[in-house]
Order: sequence, then structure tokens, then C-alpha cells
Amino acid sequence: MRKIWAIVRREFVERVRTRWFWIGALLGPVLFGAVFFLSGQLGRGGGLKRIAIVDGTTTQLGARIAEQLGRSGDWAIRVPAAVGVVDSLTAQVRAKHLDGFLIVTDAALDSGKVEYRGSNVFAGKGALQRPVGEALTVVRLQRVGVDPRLVARASIPLRLETCKISRGTTCGETAAQSFSLAYFMGIILYTAILLYGINVMSSVLEEKTTRIVEVLVSSLRPFQLLLGKVLGVGAVSIFQFLIWGVAGRLLLARRAPLAGGDGGGADELFQVPHVTGATFAVFMAYFLGGFFLYSAMFAAVGAMSSTEQEARQAQQPVAWMLVLSFISMFAMLNDPGSTLAVTLSLIPFSSPVAMPVRWAAGNLPASELALSLAILLAAIGGVTWVAARIYRVGILMTGKRPNVKELVRWIRTA
Amino acid sequence: MTSPAPASSPKPILVLDRVRKAFAGHTAVDDLSLAVPPGVIYGLLGPNGAGKTTTIRMIMDILQPDAGSVRLFGGAAGGRMHAERIGYLPEERGLYRKMRVLDVLVFLGEMKGMERRRARHRAGEWLERLGLAQWRLRRIDELSKGMQQKVQFISTILHEPALVILDEAFAGLDPVNAQVMKDTVLELRARGATILFSTHIMEQAEKLCEHVCIIARGRKLVDGPLGDIKRTRGGHHLVVGFDGSVGAAAQVFADASLVKKVDDYGQYAEVELAPGADPQRVLRDLVGSGARLARFELREPSLLKIFIDLVGPEAVQAGVRPDA
Repeated sequence: MRKIWAIVRREFVERVRTRWFWIGALLGPVLFGAVFFLSGQLGRGGGLKRIAIVDGTTTQLGARIAEQLGRSGDWAIRVPAAVGVVDSLTAQVRAKHLDGFLIVTDAALDSGKVEYRGSNVFAGKGALQRPVGEALTVVRLQRVGVDPRLVARASIPLRLETCKISRGTTCGETAAQSFSLAYFMGIILYTAILLYGINVMSSVLEEKTTRIVEVLVSSLRPFQLLLGKVLGVGAVSIFQFLIWGVAGRLLLARRAPLAGGDGGGADELFQVPHVTGATFAVFMAYFLGGFFLYSAMFAAVGAMSSTEQEARQAQQPVAWMLVLSFISMFAMLNDPGSTLAVTLSLIPFSSPVAMPVRWAAGNLPASELALSLAILLAAIGGVTWVAARIYRVGILMTGKRPNVKELVRWIRTA
Repeated sequence: MTSPAPASSPKPILVLDRVRKAFAGHTAVDDLSLAVPPGVIYGLLGPNGAGKTTTIRMIMDILQPDAGSVRLFGGAAGGRMHAERIGYLPEERGLYRKMRVLDVLVFLGEMKGMERRRARHRAGEWLERLGLAQWRLRRIDELSKGMQQKVQFISTILHEPALVILDEAFAGLDPVNAQVMKDTVLELRARGATILFSTHIMEQAEKLCEHVCIIARGRKLVDGPLGDIKRTRGGHHLVVGFDGSVGAAAQVFADASLVKKVDDYGQYAEVELAPGADPQRVLRDLVGSGARLARFELREPSLLKIFIDLVGPEAVQAGVRPDA
């Protein structure tokens, strides 16, 4: 027991002492900050800054549209329709002085047809649809004699508040919050499992190439050595989380200035998630499960390789399983209840990323969670059993990397 | 060298009983039995590929024998159960390159069941003694190869093991370190430790070992006290030089139970001993006969010659290995 503890401590202390650990500890939050910032920028990118309204109306329609657009924060100037104005505005758009321009005539009141020409018509459509539509409605109502005050009251815009009903009890999160929570949990799980799994692999490889492993396994059983190693590296990762957690808290508290002043876009998409105790427990359970599962496989890869280069090649199939579950995270965020999402959250090799993402994104039956955890546990047992056997034989082998047939023999005879 | 093995020798510290190990198609160690008495320097000798390292790995519980058993310190268990009492230096050397010298030693001491504080203390002493004190907080990869060898050697004996196992102990050592290693081995031996070391360099083994076991192709060819082996495999020739008085030497030489043939030159004689005769008795009898001796030399075959006779051409090949 004391020897395992010594292994754990060595792995922990030697890792935390390195420059790379602290670079990672600092870089993590910076990276997340960058994600905040970028998504803030991207979220705003769709908005229109400068548009012109070519007003060919005799009613108040043009003025009304300008007013509506101004209310939603866009900046619009009104120019009267005249010969040649369209051409000169087109030139302005080309010179990027304008994002685009609207052509409005009285006919719009009856046909509902308004024309927009601009550099990014997709963004224009998104940004203009609602204010222009609302302006049209208001002017139409006023034309048939409806009291302007009544119109004003009737046209109070909708503010849809989304609220997740999670596990039948509380309503603590908005859609944006649960999205950002799921998103971040996915990223962190994927990164940490991969990063620390590979850490275990290089640790195994170092002991193998320097042959220290001979001295070690003559003092304690290979499995104890592997256990100490995995626990030590795992402790480093938890320490890393702790640092990230504290930094992340600080970052989230200051997210508005970071996202660029008004915080409009970033606020919409990324809000401080409400991390409940249950969510934290799910996250940790799947992180530890995923880490144990993958680090056992990475340890086996390290044991069967003789050089860094060989190990880098041999680890690819293992890493790809993780990459695939990460990629499918985006599909799962869209529809956490889909067959794909359910399947991935039950397969033990993808569940460590998939299940927490589904948990954070949507309402999840407890039975599914229990089943997924049970399968993961069973898989850890099985995979560790196989990996430990490969490890036991592999750490003493030198020379050529074994093929599948030889691996099977190792597993059988170890 | 010729100290007689006591008839009731003490219980062996290490026993291999018909141990066998095969790897994918070839048998590395085949039906090997040996017993290492306590307090000796024991040489496990053989050409490269003879199965020395595999044997040692089985003793250390790194490999499990396919058949047979390893018993250490009178118990049934192999090396891992007795890690506290065994110091093991593998053939291929290496340490954690990024760790500090003192940390490596403390860690490896802990692996041998040492308490941290004691390991730190002892490591400090040894580093001081081998002239590495000012390097204790440096990283291993900042040390020269020779210094790394010293550190690794310290790690092997830090916990004062009762049994020290050195695989190809002197391979790759620079002359200074070889000297340090030899001195330390002798010191450990003087303190009562048992040393088992493997080598394919017979000159080294001849100088250090009291007991040897010669193996080739995984099989034992001969084992026992080195003196006995030399006697039974030759060792029949004596050179006797007299200092004036020859006494009744002629009578001693005439004893057929001792001497098979003699070539007497008056002040000098070459004697071929009778089979099984003890040269010590010849010496006693000569002194008893009143002869004054200037020279009494047992012309033993060198261990290398015995080795080559036993092993065949393989041995020669092993002997000329440049990294020897």
C-alpha cells in the first residue's frame, strides 16, 4: 500500500513541478476566454450596422421602419427615392460604407413586398424580418383607424423565456445556460481524458525505455504500479480542474467586458450555468470513468511500444474513439433525445463525453443514467483486465511492436 | 579461493529448483537448479544468451517460471515478497531523466520499503561518499553517464539488502566506477551480505567469486565452489621450489596416493597430483618433512579455460564482445 502511495506521489509531484503543467493551468482559462470572446463576436456578426432605406412611400411607413430598426440597435438612414439613388447606394455597399439598403414603396402595405439589397443578404433577412414586419403591421392598423395607443400596446414584442424542466423539480436554467454548460462539459471532458490518458501512456513508456520498470516490478506487482500511476495522473487532472474551476469562475464573473462591451451576443449564447450538485457529480463520475477506461488503454499502448514514435502511431485508434464521441457532441446538443445520442451515451467508449452532454442539455431519465454508468463500470473492469495483461508482458518486451495475434497471446498467457 | 566448503553448509539463501522458462518457441532456461549459500560472492556465468538475465528475472519475480520454483531466504516466495531484503541492478540501466538525484533515490528506496526520512538520510550519506553531494538537487539528465551509474548503484544498495543481485554488474562501467563497484561489493560481502552477479567476463568472476554456476543455452554445466571446480577440472599440477633444504621431499613425492608423477630438478620440482589428491596435504607433508619452501604454486587452469572447455566456441565469441 505504501509503495502504491509512493508511486502516486511521484507521478503527482513530478508532473505538477513541470513548466507544462502551469502553462496548461493558465492556458486553459485563456482558451475558454477566447471561446467566449469569439462566440461573442460571431453572435454579433449577423447584425446590420449601417443600412439605408430608400423611402418611396407617401405614408409614414418609411419613418416607422427607421424607428423600429433604431429601437433594435441598428443604424439606419432614410433617403428619398430618386433616379440614380439605387446605383449610388449600390456603389456605397461595394465600398463597404453600407451593409445594404431597403427599398420600400406604398405597395408594400398591400403586397407585403419589401426589397433588401446588401452584402450579406442572409444576415439582412434575419435582422430585418421582424422590425420591418412589425412596422408594416402598425402602419396598416393605423390606416384602418385603430387607436395608435392600442396599436402600441398590441405591438409589445414577444420575449420568450425558455426554462428547462430538469428532473421534474426546479427551473433553474435557461436554454442558453444549459447549452453552454453541455458545451463546456463536453470540451473539458474530451480534452482532459485525452490529455491525461496520453500522460499515462508517456509515463509507462518512460519507465519502459529507461528499464526502471524492472526494478519497480520486482518490488510491487505490475497492476499495483499501473494503479498508482493512473491514480497519480488522475490526481494531477483533478488539481488542474480545481485551478480551471477557480479561474473559470472569475472569468464568468467578468464575461461581459470580455465579450466586447455590451455583451449582447455572448450573453445570449453563454450564460453562467447553474451547476447543481447532481450535475457536478455526473461530470466527475464520467470524467473519472472515462479517464480510467482510456488511461488503461493508453497504458497498454505505451507498454506495447518501444519508442515515442511507435506510441504516437499506436495510440491513434484509441484517440479516435474519443474524437468521434466529441464530434458527435454537436449532433447531440441539437437533439439530446435522438437515437444516436442515446446509443452513444450507452456505449462505454463514448458515454464519458456523450452522457454528461445529454445530462446538461436535456431531461434525462435516471434509469438511462444508471444503465450507462453500469455499462461504463463493467467496461472499465473488462478493459483494465485486458490492458493490465498487455501491460504486464509489454513493459518487459523490447523490439518490434506486437501484432494482433501476439497481443492475443500476451493476454492469454500473462 | 581454496577454502574448504563446510560439510554442513548453512541453509542456502536462494534456491532454484528445476526452473524452466520458454519464450515463443525457444527455451531460455531449462531445468536449472542451483543453491546460493549465504555470505558468498556467487557468479552466474555464461555466454550472451545463455539465460542469465532470464534466470535473474525469475528470481526477482519479474517473470514467472513455466515450471519449477524459486525460494528465497528459506521461504517459498520469490523476489517481490522479499523486496526489502534484495538489491537488484538490472543489466540495462536507466533512471527517470527529469527527476532530481535525491528524489530518485528516495523514491527507489521507498519502492524497497524504506521509510522516506531514512531513505533521504541514507541517500545523502552515499552521495557524499561517492562524491556526488553537490549534485543531489540536480536533474538526472544533467549528470554524466558515470555519475548516473553511481546513482543507480546507490539505489541498488541504499536499503542495505541482505542479497544483492547484479546483472552484468561491470558492463558499461568506466574504470573508476568499476573500482568503486568492486570495493563496495567486497565491503557488502564483509558485512555479511550475499552477492549474486552475472557476467560473461571470466577474469572478473575469477577474481571475485567464491561460488560459480556456469550455464549455456539455458542449462547448467557446472556449479559449486570455484576451488572445487578448478580442482576437479584440472588443478592437478604443482610447482615446488626449495630454499636450500629439501628435507624428505622425495618421500612425499613417492606417496602414490598424492602424487602421480614428478619431475624433480633438485631445487625445483613439477608435480602432477594423483586424482582426488588435496594439494594442501602435499604442502603440509612437505613442510612436515623438513623442507624449506621458496615456492608452492598450484597450477590451476584459469576459469576462462574451464569455461571455454565447457561451453565451446560460443564462449570465445562472448569473450571478445567489445562492450565487455
